[in-house]
Amino acid sequence: MTAAGASWSPPIPAGRRAGRFDLLFRLIRRPEGAFGVLILATFAALALAPELFVGPLQTAVTAHGTRLSPPSAAFPLGTDELRRDMLNLTVHGARVSMAIGLLATLVTVFIGAVVGIVSGFVGGRVDAVLMRITDFFLVIPTFVLALILTPIIRDLVGSGSTEILGIRMTLIVIVIVIGITSWSSTARIIRSQTLSLKARAFVDRARVIGAGSGHIMRRHILPNVINLIVANAVLVFAGAVLTETTLSFVGLGDPFQPSWGQLLEAARSVGAPGLGAWWYFVPPGVCIVLVVFAFTLVGGALDDLLNPKRRGRG
Amino acid sequence: MTVAARSAAVGREARALPRLAVPGAPLLEVDDLKTHFRLAGEVVRAVDGVTFRLDAGEALGIAGESGCGKTTTALSLVKLLPANASIVGGAIRLYGIDLATRSETAIRRYRWREISIVFQGAMNALNPVARVRDQIAEPIVERLGIDARAARRRAGELLELVGIPRARGSAYPHELSGGMRQRAMIAMALACDPAIVIGDEPTTALDVMVQAQILDLLERLRERLGLSLILITHDLSVIAETCDRVLIMYAGWVAEEGPVAQVFGRPRHPYTQKLLAAFPNIQADRRTLDVIPGSPPDLRMPPPGCRFAPRCPLAMAICTEVVPPEVTFQDRVRVACHLYPPGSPGEPVPVPADVTVGPA
Amino acid sequence: MSGSYLARRFGSALFTIVLIILVNFILFRALPGSPERVILRGTPNVTPAQLEAARERWGLNDPVFPDQFVAFLGATVSGDLGYSFVARGQTVGQVLGQRIWPTVILFGLGELVAIVLGLALGAYSGWRRGGPVDVVGNGLSLVLYSTPYFLLGMALLLVFATGLRWFPTFGMLTAGADYPDIWARLGDFGAHLVLPLATVGLGLVGQYAIVMRSSIVETLSEDYVTTARGMGLREGRILRHHALPNALLPTVSLIAINLGYVVAGAITVEVVFNWPGLGTLAVEALTARDYPVLQGVFLLLSVSVVLANLVADLVYGVLDPRVRT
Repeated sequence: MTAAGASWSPPIPAGRRAGRFDLLFRLIRRPEGAFGVLILATFAALALAPELFVGPLQTAVTAHGTRLSPPSAAFPLGTDELRRDMLNLTVHGARVSMAIGLLATLVTVFIGAVVGIVSGFVGGRVDAVLMRITDFFLVIPTFVLALILTPIIRDLVGSGSTEILGIRMTLIVIVIVIGITSWSSTARIIRSQTLSLKARAFVDRARVIGAGSGHIMRRHILPNVINLIVANAVLVFAGAVLTETTLSFVGLGDPFQPSWGQLLEAARSVGAPGLGAWWYFVPPGVCIVLVVFAFTLVGGALDDLLNPKRRGRG
Repeated sequence: MTVAARSAAVGREARALPRLAVPGAPLLEVDDLKTHFRLAGEVVRAVDGVTFRLDAGEALGIAGESGCGKTTTALSLVKLLPANASIVGGAIRLYGIDLATRSETAIRRYRWREISIVFQGAMNALNPVARVRDQIAEPIVERLGIDARAARRRAGELLELVGIPRARGSAYPHELSGGMRQRAMIAMALACDPAIVIGDEPTTALDVMVQAQILDLLERLRERLGLSLILITHDLSVIAETCDRVLIMYAGWVAEEGPVAQVFGRPRHPYTQKLLAAFPNIQADRRTLDVIPGSPPDLRMPPPGCRFAPRCPLAMAICTEVVPPEVTFQDRVRVACHLYPPGSPGEPVPVPADVTVGPA
Repeated sequence: MSGSYLARRFGSALFTIVLIILVNFILFRALPGSPERVILRGTPNVTPAQLEAARERWGLNDPVFPDQFVAFLGATVSGDLGYSFVARGQTVGQVLGQRIWPTVILFGLGELVAIVLGLALGAYSGWRRGGPVDVVGNGLSLVLYSTPYFLLGMALLLVFATGLRWFPTFGMLTAGADYPDIWARLGDFGAHLVLPLATVGLGLVGQYAIVMRSSIVETLSEDYVTTARGMGLREGRILRHHALPNALLPTVSLIAINLGYVVAGAITVEVVFNWPGLGTLAVEALTARDYPVLQGVFLLLSVSVVLANLVADLVYGVLDPRVRT
């Protein structure tokens, strides 16, 4: 195998869309890909229209069960300490968790891709500085940074009940904080690919024609890293869901729009494990595990598909 | 006296035969060896009936295109095949002891002590985190039971033998040049004083000057230590220079085999002729390189009859139906080709070539 | 090991630590409420003179950059992290000092257990690829990888503490208990330690096993392992002397890179079990908006991770001769 040009697919001429759906079909053909996509599709359905499945989100006012009762015919997943139906809460939690995950992923991938492409393409001092910053964020425990930043930004933004896309501002702040702290591994990956693309002939050809850097970055480099971005985004999504869950668990969630993490926090503060009230934390917990597991499966399968060198291994 | 004869004489003196050796048996006899791979549910018949013999002191070259099965043959001899490959037929008789049928543990005792192997691209064949001297000493300690200090001394001697200053033994592989790494690998192969050393493309990754040095070294070692060599390579010039006999392989089976002078001087098999013609000759008149059109057959479904028939310019009807029998002629050349049926006088039939002589 | 390798690693770590302090400095200036709260809070009856002296000491009358930053840097390095907003009169340093050892014990032991078990499990799985240990282990590891640590903790709590009553449900020691001797105290401590330790350990084992396994699988396909087999060496020797030393290299790197993420898990595990360490401190400080303490925790944890990475780099340098030049 020659050292140069060991990349994954032939360059797509600028302007032609990458065949993204063909990747999806290849993904489904693999068992772990199909399984993962199935789970994700199920949760996506629940997240998009939770009212369809369980009605509107129950509040302390509209709750009508008994306090902390185990699963029964009327309440298949039991109730919480505010007498609300756990099934209702869990399904609505899907919407919150997945929405935050999705938005946070968009922010993270956007920042990471921009930093990665610019850094890889421009090179030189810009690259050195950007990489130093990236490495910094890779080393430090970003969770603790998120822990500090969230209340500060919340206090700065003020507590209103404005909503963006149906998500309250308190949670939007979490989206931003996750975005600010998680972009670095994406940046590194994209930068690597950009570097190897930069070395290939078609970039030189574009330059000879007289194309400017911005143009080359947008029309030539970007289409060829899209597949990589998508595969990376899947794993980022898993990480974002986990991070949001953990941030909510330590008290940064919103009790008015409970995500799964927020439900777990409520369960803990009521002392559910100590009381034996497993139905309070097991349903949201299982959902988290399933979703993250599914994302990991899909992300791994995508990685295999895009990186033929790894095939035949393991 | 030839190099081979001198080598054989030294070998007889220097080496004791293994306990189970059959008296009077030749050093190595490979009889109708078949090694198949399982790949994605299909069987690849990589080596499909290879027969040859190696006598004490000899140097045998195995040549052919990539994928013809030469490396697989070499790995079969030392039973270092990957997990999805196995020897499915034939015999490998070392001093009459059949290695092919014996289990892994049974043949372990012959590894390195009778046959050792030198791989191509010695960077990956040397453990990157261990010092060179310790790697050479390792088989001496583990296989010969010699204590560590004596083993390190012996390792130093082996390094000197292959032309590496003893002091360099404390280096790590990445600190040595490509040529020195290859020499170190040769020293390692000699650690237990084997009867046979197999070289799998030992000089391919090296530049021409270093290549010459390594070949020269192998020749001297042969004479001094009474070694027999099997050299696997696609480079015919290496074989021409170093080997006594040559085996030309194609698509997993033997096309032609015999003394180097005969096979290269009077090639009979059309493939051999094409192979020789394809090799650029620095001294000849300028002419277009004779390329063999087409590519080797898919070894999952080899063609019936002669495997070279689809590409052979002299193919006849019978070639695509019947597997050509191996016939040995008076000049000790063995050929498998319908142009040379049993009983024929064995005159080489020249293959028409596209030759344009003159300034290009 | 060459001096320049050491120097580069140390220099890099030092630079990162300075950046960490810079982040803290930015937060210090950006916090809601003036910086004076941080440097004086909790001290009753502050006279204007004392306030002015403190402002002077912290360089708050000087330009922000570089003077204030340098002063802040100096203060941080000498251990002066200001005063807690919440704990009356106590410095951040004091507050941190009280809570650091439980975390070190829990987390340190957990890592140790996870590294030993995880590497062993991973190496064995890779060696006997496709075998029962491998298949089961791989599946379990993947599931564990998708499970937040605190969820695991809650589940363990439910089963082993509430359900089976083998272990206590929270804290580090039984509240108000009277111990006849040191062993009784240690015993109680140990009983409280088991479940949180198991949580941290289980959470980490999966990751390390997965990494080690794929590392071993890759190493076993290298030419030098084939050569070692060709030499007739015993399988055990090949694994120990050829495969493992090489397989450890990427594993060590990945363990180090992972440390930042593991910290998040450690914090939440403490919360679940009410373990009185830095994790619960961070959450308490968060709830009470005690920013100086939060920053102190951030500083401490970040610097620890950087130092741990440095140690990992040095270990890597010992293991791999190729990086030493």
